[in-house]
Amino acid sequence: MVRGLRPVYAALILAGSAVLLAACSHAKSIADGGPARLGMVTDVGGLGDRSFNDSAYRGLLAAKDNLHADVAVLQSKSASDYQPNLTVLANKEYDLIFAIGFLMAKDVNEVATRYPARHFAIIDAVVDQPNVASVTFKEEDGSFLAGAAAAMASKTHQVAFLGGVDIPLLRKFEAGFAAGAREIDPTIKVAVKYTGSFDDAAAGKELSGVLFDQGADVVFVAAGKAGIGAIDQVKTRPGDYVIGVDSDQDALAPGKVLTSMIKRVDVGVFRLAQETVAQKLPSGHLVLGLKEDGVGLTAFQYTKNVMTPDRIATIKRLRAMIIAGTIKPPSTREELAQFKPVPLGR
Amino acid sequence: MTGLSGALLALVTLTLVKATPLIYAALGGVLSERSGVVNIGLEGILTAGAFFAVVATAASGNPVVGVAAGVIAGALLAAILAFAATRLGVDQIVAGTGLNIVAIGGAAYGLVVVFGQPGASREVPNLGPAGETVLVILAFAIAAALWFALFRTPWGLHVRSCGENPRAAEIAGIDALRTRFWAVVIGGAIAALGGVYLSLAELDLYSDGMTAGRGYIALAAVIFGRWNPFGALGAALFFGFFAALQYSLQRAGIPSELMQALPYVAALVALTGFAGRVRAPAADGIPFEH
Repeated sequence: MVRGLRPVYAALILAGSAVLLAACSHAKSIADGGPARLGMVTDVGGLGDRSFNDSAYRGLLAAKDNLHADVAVLQSKSASDYQPNLTVLANKEYDLIFAIGFLMAKDVNEVATRYPARHFAIIDAVVDQPNVASVTFKEEDGSFLAGAAAAMASKTHQVAFLGGVDIPLLRKFEAGFAAGAREIDPTIKVAVKYTGSFDDAAAGKELSGVLFDQGADVVFVAAGKAGIGAIDQVKTRPGDYVIGVDSDQDALAPGKVLTSMIKRVDVGVFRLAQETVAQKLPSGHLVLGLKEDGVGLTAFQYTKNVMTPDRIATIKRLRAMIIAGTIKPPSTREELAQFKPVPLGR
Repeated sequence: MTGLSGALLALVTLTLVKATPLIYAALGGVLSERSGVVNIGLEGILTAGAFFAVVATAASGNPVVGVAAGVIAGALLAAILAFAATRLGVDQIVAGTGLNIVAIGGAAYGLVVVFGQPGASREVPNLGPAGETVLVILAFAIAAALWFALFRTPWGLHVRSCGENPRAAEIAGIDALRTRFWAVVIGGAIAALGGVYLSLAELDLYSDGMTAGRGYIALAAVIFGRWNPFGALGAALFFGFFAALQYSLQRAGIPSELMQALPYVAALVALTGFAGRVRAPAADGIPFEH
């Protein structure tokens, strides 16, 4: 019985010594004059989503190039990888560990409690711990502008929102988009559908096809990798557009992606990296909106034929009105039901 | 009136699009299980088919080469399961699960190696609308051919007897292990076409997780279709129909999760209705040794 278990014990001892070794390998920290060490854990979307995680990674690479930080990325294949990945980086004494995505909120909370001397940053969620900085975005503000642009470009007076998974974060995109469309065209029809997954590119293609078939001619896609399928769909549909999300997706199908509602996760990551390099370890809650360039639209580089200078000027005016607080884009369906288009004025 | 017929046509088209990868995977599963090997690895085989089809197309510039590569990759992956199940006598569920992990992890790593970027490959030339139609029709043709092979040829009788009672088959002079091995390998080749359809017909790239559980739904289709090729075909169409239906019915106000559960609720209801009559091949999933 015990003899049979010997290989198991051997493996356990090996694993244990590996952990010890990892814990002992001590790099010079910023306090001792070494470079800042920045770690990042992606959510299940992973690198290569051409969207949210990729944007965070760009921020990290910018910190590497401009701030000479040491960087490391651990990708998560499933939700059960979050805690182990965070713990590995905490053990390796990274100065700041980024958790990309609200899915990791609970895990960050636990790991931050276990490692009070380490610092963490979470994107898209608020974790109330002294050693955690939280970064959230006003997605509803950027999505409002996307909705306005969609309503301007629509000839059928129908636009649509295609989300990944029906969760409060995605409803901020949905509500802001619908309100923005109504701001331009109060009687416009806004269809809403969800793929149910951030991975299923085929579902993204099929559902965007359904939305176009049902009469929408501009679809705002906020569905991670499933959105790749929607961009594939629009390529074969003259007169129809999609609006990209998170990263600048305009060049993925030039002229067919009306604009992208970029969410500058990279800006958030880079700002916290800067604070870390300045040995001011970040904490608290950072909210990035239009004013901070945390969210916004791309410059309509390939779609100037529909987005005339007049229309772009209107988008700019709306942006200014949101920053000034004259327009408050809704962030939930309840707020959307209460939303009344604000007179644009001159 | 045209609006209604247009909507119906769209529903039928979408049903076929949703069903095709399921049909291939389920047919692969039927052949494998008829021979007595449960293939939990269908998800991994779909992944391998989708991934290698894109890699070979990127390398050759010809999507037809991609189709061949995807099919071969599926057959080779299934051969691992077949070897483990027939020669090593390991638990088929464990081996199949391992297959899924290897294929999905391997494809994720392969993206970095081959395309230099994680997450998704670059776009490659795909089969186009004509090629997509051919793959849809081929799914039906393979269902018919598999039915004929299983129930009207000596080889089919051998396969089925190995799934019911491999000992008796051996006594009758059939090499049960060899028969099982090839049934699983051919099943893998068929199932891989489902992955090829996803990456080279419907889309034009491979992205991580793009099979999104279709291999597991196909397993349900195998059972729902009572281990019969035409049954599996019908079950896959049934799932495809309800998936397509929920796409058109989804709208603001109704929780979308509820609509997304529709195909599976429909399957549960249907399965309960058939419960008394469902019977797996008697030796399905049981390792056999000479």
